[in-house]
Amino acid sequence: MHIPDGFLSNRVAVAFDAISGAGIFLSARRMKLEASARIVPMMGVLAAFVFAAQMLNFPVLGGTSGHLVGGALLAILLGPVAGVLTMATVIIAQALFLQDGGLIAAGANIFNIGAITVFSGYAIFRLLWRGAGSGKRLHIAAFAAGWISMMLSAAACAIELAISGAIPLRLGLPAMVGYHAVIGIAEGGLTAGVLAFLARVRPDLVEAPRKARLSAPEWAGALVFVAIPFLILALAGSSALPDPLEALIESGSAVSTGAVGIQTLLSTVRFREYFWEILALIALIFCMFLAGRIFHSRKAHR
Amino acid sequence: MKHSFIDRYAALDSPLHLLDARTKLLGFTVLIAAVLLIPPGKPFAYFAYFFLAAVLMGISQIPLVYILARTLVILPFVLLAGLALPWRTGAGWTLFNTLVARSSLCLIILILLTNTTRFAELLRGLRRLGCPRILVMNLGFLYRYIFVLTEEVLRMRQARDCRRVGRAHAAAEMKLLGSMLGTLLLRSFERAERMYQAMLSRGSSGEFPILAPREFSWRDLAFLAGLAVFIWAAGLLA
Repeated sequence: MHIPDGFLSNRVAVAFDAISGAGIFLSARRMKLEASARIVPMMGVLAAFVFAAQMLNFPVLGGTSGHLVGGALLAILLGPVAGVLTMATVIIAQALFLQDGGLIAAGANIFNIGAITVFSGYAIFRLLWRGAGSGKRLHIAAFAAGWISMMLSAAACAIELAISGAIPLRLGLPAMVGYHAVIGIAEGGLTAGVLAFLARVRPDLVEAPRKARLSAPEWAGALVFVAIPFLILALAGSSALPDPLEALIESGSAVSTGAVGIQTLLSTVRFREYFWEILALIALIFCMFLAGRIFHSRKAHR
Repeated sequence: MKHSFIDRYAALDSPLHLLDARTKLLGFTVLIAAVLLIPPGKPFAYFAYFFLAAVLMGISQIPLVYILARTLVILPFVLLAGLALPWRTGAGWTLFNTLVARSSLCLIILILLTNTTRFAELLRGLRRLGCPRILVMNLGFLYRYIFVLTEEVLRMRQARDCRRVGRAHAAAEMKLLGSMLGTLLLRSFERAERMYQAMLSRGSSGEFPILAPREFSWRDLAFLAGLAVFIWAAGLLA
């Protein structure tokens, strides 16, 4: 899911750099380092864990690649602010050390893999869990948080690539969302498993996010934050053209009005059209997994 | 136990290694931006940047094989993602070539950046460029914990292999894996808590001091000036 340099149009990349940079600085300011002696060492360890987990990378045809994300887990264990910061750390480290994801594209990657998974994962978890202890409720809430946040993140990635003109939405969206709907099951399962384990052996770690909750205005701020880059791009107009040729060749030269930009963006994002394609893809991947499983067990019996 | 898979050549002594980390961070970021700003269908400009990348590789004394191997790890993803482009009408191949040229140039530049700068220097450079302290600190922790985690995993695997014969059933195997992961997580948390307490009680401010840091000098000025001249000249080609 990490976008390398060269895939996003410059306008898209810079818009996301600006917004993610601002987000990181705001989060860093909000986190009081001295008051959080408990959370700082956990951020470091979890960053290393997520870094390792994301190294398991599978290519996606038509998209870029898929892997476990861990955003929901970070959000639940650390709270949204520290979670976003930790994920930003991981993505910067991946760009620098593994060259996984570009440097100029880092803003978009931090946005997709960091902000979206952390905020949506946290919101979903809190809505479903409602502080109901460590029972079944926790399992379900954690699973849903992991699974859904991953698909949202993949969808954002596909939309960015489409408005940059690199991969048409018709191809990218079903491929990315469909694929991550499958990997997302592993992600959800792991999120639930790790949380259940921690709730049993170190309940204090799972208690913490209750204290680190966001206030209502901060939630509104987070929502606006997530919406801003798309708005900027819609208003910027020309780069939101769905046709890759025009977008790349005329990049920077054509200036159109905001209204046209919003119109093209809206016409690009029609999820309903892709419903059956996504469903078919999920079914296909399930069949492949199933076939692999049967084949594997037969080999083991022989 | 061997663990130098991330920035193996960062401790060499080439002219590029001697530069201030800030110079390299800024210079290479500008270079990537310049590559991304070349309009598609201008092969000469791309050749110019490939030439520059080759010169930088030569100066850096990093083995060519290493850089190529690192590039080849990522490049398949790029090729796969760009697979649909040549089948589009008109300038499809131009776009495909542009995409591959851009991505591989940016990859090489990033590999050069991390392999010519020691990690502590890189963190110091980021901090002096205005990166928030918590982010830089976290990057420092991440880098150190990766090696600690790797060793812990190797130890746990060895312990597991010493205590059993053959493989268990898939379900049992998953359960084993789950509890190993949980134990790993818990051990790491507790280790990190101990370490952080130790750091705090020794008066740590969250900054990691380093011995003999590289400072900004005439070398850095020359490098940045050369880069600026090159980007200007390549702009004439485009």
